[in-house]
Amino acid sequence: MDNAISEKEKNMAEEFNVDGMLDMFLYESSQLLENLESIILEKQDAECFDDNDINEIFRIMHTIKGSSGIMMYENITKVTHKLEDVFYYLRESQPDNVPHMELVEHVLAVSDFVNGELEKIREGSSPDGKEDKILKDLDSFLKRLKGEIKEQGIRLPRENKHEEPSQFYIAPMASDESHFYRIIIHYRNDTQMSNIRAYSATYALKDVAEDLLYSPEDIISNEESADVILAEGFYMLLQTKAGKEEILQLISSTEAETTDIDDITAEEFGRGLVEVAQGSSDDKPIVIDLGEEKTEEGKKKDEPVVPGDYVVKSKETGKGKTLAKNQPKKQTIISVNVEKMDSLMDMIGELVIAQAVVLQNPDLKVPGLDLTNFQKAAGQLSKITTDLQEVIMSLRMMPLTNVFQKMRRIVFDVSRKLGKDIELEVIGENTEVDKNIIEHVSDPLMHLVRNSVDHGIEENAEDRIALGKPAKGKITLEAKNEGGKVYISVKDDGKGLNKQKLYDKASSNGLIGDKDITEFEDSEIFRFITLPGFSTKEQVTEYSGRGVGMDVVVKDIQAIGGRLDIASKEGNGSEMTLVIPLTLAIINGIVVQVGGSAFVIETASVKEFIRLGEDSVVQEPDGEEYIVIRGDCYPFVRLSDKYHIDNAIDKIDEGIVVVVEHEGKQICILIDKLLQEQEIVVKPIPSYIKKVQGLSGCTQLGDGSIALILDVAGLVESEERR
Amino acid sequence: MAEGLKEELQEEDTQKGKFMTFQTGKEYFGISISYVNEIISMQPITAMPEVEDYIKGLINLRGKIIPVIDVRARFKMEPIEYNDRTCIIVINVKTTMIGLIVEKIAEVDTIEEDDIVPPPSLGKKDKEHNKYVYGLAKTGNTVKLLLDPEKLIRDEDLELLEEMQEEE
Amino acid sequence: MKTLLAEDDFASRKFMSGYLSQFGDCDVTVDGEEAVGAFMMALEDGEPYDLVCLDVMMPVLDGYQVLKAIRDIEKEKKVSKEKRVKIVMTTALNEERNVKKAFELECEAYTGKPIDVDRFEQMLKKLKLI
Repeated sequence: MDNAISEKEKNMAEEFNVDGMLDMFLYESSQLLENLESIILEKQDAECFDDNDINEIFRIMHTIKGSSGIMMYENITKVTHKLEDVFYYLRESQPDNVPHMELVEHVLAVSDFVNGELEKIREGSSPDGKEDKILKDLDSFLKRLKGEIKEQGIRLPRENKHEEPSQFYIAPMASDESHFYRIIIHYRNDTQMSNIRAYSATYALKDVAEDLLYSPEDIISNEESADVILAEGFYMLLQTKAGKEEILQLISSTEAETTDIDDITAEEFGRGLVEVAQGSSDDKPIVIDLGEEKTEEGKKKDEPVVPGDYVVKSKETGKGKTLAKNQPKKQTIISVNVEKMDSLMDMIGELVIAQAVVLQNPDLKVPGLDLTNFQKAAGQLSKITTDLQEVIMSLRMMPLTNVFQKMRRIVFDVSRKLGKDIELEVIGENTEVDKNIIEHVSDPLMHLVRNSVDHGIEENAEDRIALGKPAKGKITLEAKNEGGKVYISVKDDGKGLNKQKLYDKASSNGLIGDKDITEFEDSEIFRFITLPGFSTKEQVTEYSGRGVGMDVVVKDIQAIGGRLDIASKEGNGSEMTLVIPLTLAIINGIVVQVGGSAFVIETASVKEFIRLGEDSVVQEPDGEEYIVIRGDCYPFVRLSDKYHIDNAIDKIDEGIVVVVEHEGKQICILIDKLLQEQEIVVKPIPSYIKKVQGLSGCTQLGDGSIALILDVAGLVESEERR
Repeated sequence: MAEGLKEELQEEDTQKGKFMTFQTGKEYFGISISYVNEIISMQPITAMPEVEDYIKGLINLRGKIIPVIDVRARFKMEPIEYNDRTCIIVINVKTTMIGLIVEKIAEVDTIEEDDIVPPPSLGKKDKEHNKYVYGLAKTGNTVKLLLDPEKLIRDEDLELLEEMQEEE
Repeated sequence: MKTLLAEDDFASRKFMSGYLSQFGDCDVTVDGEEAVGAFMMALEDGEPYDLVCLDVMMPVLDGYQVLKAIRDIEKEKKVSKEKRVKIVMTTALNEERNVKKAFELECEAYTGKPIDVDRFEQMLKKLKLI
């Protein structure tokens, strides 16, 4: 596992190699701090750090100290310097009886401080955090440490010698406060020498411009550019701290007929004039930019810089320098904008649909047609699109490592604050999940972990010992990938759920009607905690309260097509499992028809299709209908009634009954007929339309019509509730 | 390349004071052209269950799935059959893309700001209109009701509903 | 502090020479070759510069070539490491490999453009120039 990570880190580092010095510093330092935190959290429960850890922490501090020194971030340099000193003495003298927990706290304090400062730098503000307190704390800790070392009769090593960096790097002025504008100037048609006026405009902006691109470029050297300017206007992209007013003022003297200034994003600025000029906002061309670099960065990462590479051959005023040597471009790893990935994803979705249009084209259904060759070619095409989908999916997969890392920290922080002694075991953190899903998993998972620490594990170790459990609580965080689903579970060996209490609470809150506790299965009772307005803790605590309950966790997870399983045994602990799909975008679905409407049912949730006679339907006095299949009784849903669909079949023997299953609960749905099974590109129902119970999305079918995707989980649950 | 931009800019310029006008019933309506994305002919509509009656359902606009609302129904007017003159004005309000089903497109009109007067507070009968109308414009022989698309698509009932849902 | 500034872009040149003049004399050249010439001249006259600021992208010789030339000249003339002129690169190129190369060629500092003058001053202090 460790190997896998370091391999990945190496790749990442390579990928970042072409990035700016500052990005590199931020990236490396953050990585080092992450390593640091994982060492600390792994060893938080140990008696002390072992030699490896001490060396590693020393090395991390030393590296950050060095690089922050070069970057002249003095407060970072000072605190890392001081912590390096501490670990220097630990390394050299190896004293006993180091107060481990205190040391851990100092390291985390430094780590938090540096992280905070890095964040400021990343945001473009200056790292102005006050380091005094940390330095003071570390100093007194170091002093005690030295005293201890002397007392133990170990000779103090000579002072840790620090070398001041002799070379410095100053990052360019933070450009975050900079604005980006697109300026278009039109001159009257009879304007003489508009190119010179255009030049004056660029000149007028010189003082405020941090970067300026313009088109046409050859305004001075090429007189014909004047005609182009008259015909098309003069375009500038400007990066500046100045506001629109100021810019207008500056170029007002150039007697333009119209001057338009629009805000653009830094990204648009980066794309340069060509694309901005083309870019209407919603029809962005979907082009994968294979990491084309700006001309000035002509060289590639694997070729070292050689003096002479940057000789300017000929140049215009301002930008657009041409270098004598323009290196050929090649690149092996590129970073791609997520937006581009998403649009590629969309395109592939469209492709899947288009393929269905072709392969299921009604024209092919002419009797007597020989389709042998067509079918062969179609098979090949299907294979390619499937591969294509797999590739794009794999591009989007990310390990859960970072999310799990966050959880370690939460367990650590919360358990310390609550004074509970808890060990966290992490299994399967390399399990990969679609990037979109990761974003949605973090919050619910955090909630579950907090809950386990706060409510799961017993308040006192004595209570645990009395129950014959080890004094130290244990939480297991596990991820695994099984059958196209990802299971992430949070297990604790704490109190477990008390069914009677849950029942009483739910009942007194009026959440479950007047049914008796014996009418519920265990899992149903556990499920009460996910009902809105249910909270067994009288007081919302700082850590698991926060105004959101388990209902929000369930809602969040259902929003991405997942579910929450709860298992618990009173006295032994609880296990909460998030079951989530590997990916959101494409599912296997069965398209069915009800009246004039098409619906999609996810293939995995279909148990069977069955034709039944009228006598299989049982109607209760209250109008509720059930279907009896082979002696078992299932709730029955008529979509035509539920969704008011006209012209649907309502005689059961004329239609088809679909048995669908969710979490072991089955219901029957009546449909008119089966259309086909195919891959379905899931699209959200436009947010303008309020959420309809039982529908989770929509999709476009082969013929361009729209089908609604049935939310089996939602349907089953709503039947259950009745 | 620059031409496309220029056209677009000119368009923006010329968009000022221009309104897409359409007729529904005996009345003429106008909607600022800056909201209008395109006008398409009537499309097959996929009905959505459990929505307000003026939301007719979803259409597939070149792979984008957008909701459509019937303007007549929105004003609580008697529904009429859709025919070959019925069309859908696709508008963009903030981030929401929505189709408006209208009986008949009239034309694009230029309406000077001076010609726009605030709607008088009318009797009860016109109340339904009034909610979405921000001004009246007189051009030629007709009075056009200028619609505020944001109010048109975002209404109190819906917000109320959403709030109720949240509370649940 | 006596400074040599090599910068081909007029706006940057104007700004930098104005800024550096507050600390003492500031000579200006517009390409790399001239910069090496100016450095030689000052050295031979026994009035060497304390600080050389080099743009990277310049006509005739680029900043790296000038940097290397100056260090070579100093080696040739047996100028001790302590007495060497302090060289600061000023450029819009901020890729790590650009910075590393400049460090390898033994410049004292590398400054991204637009220049953060507060930090620039801090750096001058660290180099004990002011």
